[in-house]
Amino acid sequence: MIKVRIPTPLRPLTKGQGEVESQGGSVEEMINLLDSAHPGLKGRLCDDKGELRRFVNIYVNEEDIRFLQGKATTLKDGDEVSIVPAIAGGR
Amino acid sequence: MSALRIPQAILDDLVAHARELDPFECCGLLAGKDGTVQRHYRIANAVAKDRQAMQVFDDAQVKKLGDLAETTRAEVAYFMDPQEMLAAFKDMREKHLDLAVIYHSHTHSPAYPSETDVGLAYYPDAAYLIVSLENKSTPDMRAYWIKDRRVFPAEVQAI
Ligand SMILES: [Zn+2]
Repeated sequence: MIKVRIPTPLRPLTKGQGEVESQGGSVEEMINLLDSAHPGLKGRLCDDKGELRRFVNIYVNEEDIRFLQGKATTLKDGDEVSIVPAIAGGR
Repeated sequence: MSALRIPQAILDDLVAHARELDPFECCGLLAGKDGTVQRHYRIANAVAKDRQAMQVFDDAQVKKLGDLAETTRAEVAYFMDPQEMLAAFKDMREKHLDLAVIYHSHTHSPAYPSETDVGLAYYPDAAYLIVSLENKSTPDMRAYWIKDRRVFPAEVQAI
């Protein structure tokens, strides 16, 4: 079992839950499984080509997957995944 | 949406944060319960040093950061340090607080969200607060809700 933390903007897709359980051997697999359980979630995380949207940060046990293997980063039972959209702006 | 209640000490600290970083933009988060803010997290503005910032701005088709020198980027834009954000969200979870406010400063323009701010507003449940230092002696502070690229004023009550 993998624990996934859902940010507030995506909670309408998880019936308001801030944490959901998922499975998967990699981040990519986990996203596909999450999308089956919570349709529409993948479209918010990935673009049409299935690449992660650049303003979406994903952490596995607090490690940014950009510094691991991206969406190919492997997951194991007990891992905690956090999804955090970037916060940015300007003048 | 009802008024946000923010302790005066935190409001004062937002202005202090903006002044400390002037001419660069500061940024951070406020968390609380039921619209009453209890905690303030200063977050580093990583716009000049995080390569992801450029991609995020390009994808949203807002400001072209690549056209600006690295040293001036933080004068016109902010990008919250992802690791510090993660730590702030973890602290909120442990204290059972919700994200209430996302703030940043404008050091040369009014306290109104720019097109860049609106294009990058991914958190419709949080108020976006801007501290303007356009007039250095009288800082202006205003908050907004940004939903589906539309901007609505948010009422702030000092407590
Ligand atoms: Zn701004």
